[in-house]
Amino acid sequence: MVREFELPDVGEGLAEAEIVSWLVSVGDAVTEDQPVAEVETDKAVVEVPSPVNGTVKEILAEEGEMVPVGNVIITFATEEDETASEESGDTESDESEAESAISAVSEVGDEDEDAEAGGTAAKGGRVFASPSARRLARELDVDIAAVEGSGPGGRVSDADVRAHAASDDEEEAVESAVEPATAKVGEDDEEEPAPTGDVARAGRDQTLAAPATRRLAEEESVNLDDVPTDETRDGEAFVRPEQVREFAETQRAAQAADTEAVQAGQEAGAVSTTPEQVDQRETREPYTGIRRTIGEQMETSKYTAPHVTHHDEVDVTKLVETRARLKEEAEARGQKLSYMPFVLKAVVAGLREYPVLNSQLDEEADEIVTKHYYNIGVAAATDAGLMVPVVDAVDQKGLLQLSEEMNELVAAARDRSIAREDMQGGTFSITNFGAIGGEYATPIINYPETAILGLGAIKEKPRVVDGEVVPRHVLTLSLSIDHRVIDGAEAAAFTNTVKEHLQNPELLLL
Amino acid sequence: MVVGDIATGTEVLVIGAGPGGYVAAIRAAQLGLDTTLVEKDAYGGVCLNRGCIPSKALITGADTAHGAASAERMGIHADPAVDMAALSSWKDDVVDQLTGGVEKLCKANGVNLIEGTAEFDGEGSVRVMHGGDGQGSETIEYEHAIVATGSRPIQIPGFEYDEEHVLSSTGALNLTSVPEDLLVVGAGYIGMELSTTYAKLGTNVEVIEMLDSALPVYEDDVARVVRKRAEELGVGFNFGEGASEWEETVDGGVRLTTETDDGEQSTYEADHILVAVGRQPVTDTLGLDAIGLEPTEAGFLESDEFGETDVENVYAVGDVAGEPMLAHKASAEGEVVAEHIAGEPSAMDFQSIPGAVFTDPEIGTVGMTETEAEEAGFEPVVGQMPMNASGRALTMDEPDGFARIVADAETEFVLGAQIVAPEASELIGEVGLAIEMGATLEDLGSTVHTHPTLSEAVMEAAMNAQGHAVHTLNR
Repeated sequence: MVREFELPDVGEGLAEAEIVSWLVSVGDAVTEDQPVAEVETDKAVVEVPSPVNGTVKEILAEEGEMVPVGNVIITFATEEDETASEESGDTESDESEAESAISAVSEVGDEDEDAEAGGTAAKGGRVFASPSARRLARELDVDIAAVEGSGPGGRVSDADVRAHAASDDEEEAVESAVEPATAKVGEDDEEEPAPTGDVARAGRDQTLAAPATRRLAEEESVNLDDVPTDETRDGEAFVRPEQVREFAETQRAAQAADTEAVQAGQEAGAVSTTPEQVDQRETREPYTGIRRTIGEQMETSKYTAPHVTHHDEVDVTKLVETRARLKEEAEARGQKLSYMPFVLKAVVAGLREYPVLNSQLDEEADEIVTKHYYNIGVAAATDAGLMVPVVDAVDQKGLLQLSEEMNELVAAARDRSIAREDMQGGTFSITNFGAIGGEYATPIINYPETAILGLGAIKEKPRVVDGEVVPRHVLTLSLSIDHRVIDGAEAAAFTNTVKEHLQNPELLLL
Repeated sequence: MVVGDIATGTEVLVIGAGPGGYVAAIRAAQLGLDTTLVEKDAYGGVCLNRGCIPSKALITGADTAHGAASAERMGIHADPAVDMAALSSWKDDVVDQLTGGVEKLCKANGVNLIEGTAEFDGEGSVRVMHGGDGQGSETIEYEHAIVATGSRPIQIPGFEYDEEHVLSSTGALNLTSVPEDLLVVGAGYIGMELSTTYAKLGTNVEVIEMLDSALPVYEDDVARVVRKRAEELGVGFNFGEGASEWEETVDGGVRLTTETDDGEQSTYEADHILVAVGRQPVTDTLGLDAIGLEPTEAGFLESDEFGETDVENVYAVGDVAGEPMLAHKASAEGEVVAEHIAGEPSAMDFQSIPGAVFTDPEIGTVGMTETEAEEAGFEPVVGQMPMNASGRALTMDEPDGFARIVADAETEFVLGAQIVAPEASELIGEVGLAIEMGATLEDLGSTVHTHPTLSEAVMEAAMNAQGHAVHTLNR
């Protein structure tokens, strides 16, 4: 029997996730709980285990594809009896056979993919939707079979159709955005002859190709729909890898010729702007995945919490000396000691004195929740974007332990192996933008926390001590607070306490 | 163009003023299109003039007479005399009122009405021959043509309709006296409706059917209720026999010879033979060759979801566009085509076309049967409510039949219904709405229905499918 496997909700309340890589391929034997795919949620990469013993029958999502939770991503052939698979039987049982023929070789354009994977209400050739919703779909040029229904049993409502139409538009925008610049030239062909006009472009609407071919096309910046081919599958043009390579080669040659031509033109004083050059002035990439998660998080925070940022500086000359001494000690124990554990400790000291900065506003209950535990998030820049691993129970740990834990978490965030739980449950955050450079900033609160401390770079500066100008190590602080919960006076008082502890590190012993 | 022709132009030309054509014309005119409707015979088509409407009028008459005559159990003793000519004339009044209404509606909406027979002249133009000698003809140039020529009764060779001895359904609706004996060839819905009607009016009816059951397109348990009731009314059924020949008897009646597959012959005598073996689309008078449009073997015009045929700008609606040959399907298609021509986002995406048979009791069906649901890939669940558990059915003294709902087990979406019950034709409308809306068993079962009404049976059947009907045992 065939067992369909839907993308599970791998994080809490997740709507979609990106298939990072497949760990199995069609025909592989799998055992229950064996990881079959790596999936990127909003902030971590997790492995998805096989639900059954069996063999992989079809893989229905491509690496790099964003898949809504609940879509079938893989099917397994199992020897279980009928009932098991019938229960899991879902929306596309009818089409799945026909579909398998196609999906094994290709993806039939994003929209069709949606039609097969997205629609929940299509069954037995029927879409469950009212006549008015169906008419609306035609009006908005939406394939109603592709719409995810939100009603009972997946019934499609007017609102679902509208939402789908809106997302289609977005997708189209993204699609056209990610199309390589060279492909755009092809599209422009009709209106204005582009310099690369001597490359024969097929300009189809749809092209079938194996996933590997699609990847190759992407690498080569080739629009598959432009690749000439005589072959067809199921009545659609079918493109092979060698055809993509050949086309890419021709395209490059044509471009080189163009560049020469353009240069020649420029030398002759005729500066012309070709469509290509226009395109290259801007590039577009999809706003998805971690980038989008960060963006949405920032948006929520900044639009929800009225931010006030309090700026101050602290003379950390003693801390610099202390840390220099302890650093050797730590190294002897195999640890790299940065300033961060000291800051963590100083922050906890401040939070103990001014607990309101370790709080959260429960908007639904209209209550301010003060946390009596100290889980401090430390923002880390990673290749994929900003991540905030959380060091738990900072108050209960020594400097070395904090240092060790933090280093591990940051490393995990950077190689994206960090678990979601390790980025949740924070009560206060620190962002060390000074590590890269800069003195003051206006950090955005890691909502729903209510305060975040930004650290500038520690620099030696001339400061007046006892009436004399002397060189001192100075750390700049930028504390953003949620003014709904915290007032400026509290922010300043908290900062003073943190300052005291950073100024006189021995206080941290208390 | 023939000399003497007057050439006119129109944006939308509709051929045939039946329920498909006149609805298309009115909607097209409403949407601001210059619309011309050609009708050769009578506005309203077969449905209004020779089908649904006159037959329902006769059925009402027969029911009234039969009801009064068979109410002894209620202490009512009557022996009504039926004046068939008067009944027929009342029926004609009803027809006139309705067809007159259609004509008025067309005019009020600005549809140009032309009487005559239309024939394609070439792409973009038809010639309309006006009825009668010397009435001339005219050429109409169209941008869009809607073919709505309907259907006519199928003739069996040797049984040409003379509407005296051999009757088509048309003739059977226009008898001026109640026949003593009637032979009905064909136990489809038309044969069964008229058999029941005349049996109730006192005629001895014998039904001849080649297949081995009445109403063979319906499920056995549905058809059985109607056949049993017909038998109670005195209708005789002769299955597995085909009509082979007939002759006139000395007293002006008919003698029919039938034959089984094994060659076994039987003879029947009666006043008339009603042949009701089905209907065929009228596409042979249209000169379709002129525009290169070829009907299917059965004579239908194939069309897409907007009703457009293989020839651009030529549309087909109603019986000519294929089964089911039902007036309401024709009207629905007519609206879609008109709206599509006007650029509106309409399409024939009906999830179901209801059907009704006005037998005793009536049959109303919509959507899928249990078997059809299985074939379509659903795992169906079925709920049923017998009418003898319905207070209203008992108080009407019509306890035969049942209401059945078919739904998808997983999602509980309502997929179909088969109702065989008094007023089943009315009851089915509710389920049609449920199917179109994508309603679930819960939706149907949780809608409060009036007590005591027959419609409660629909609600109970839905609840029965969920396993918690109150007024019938849950299976």
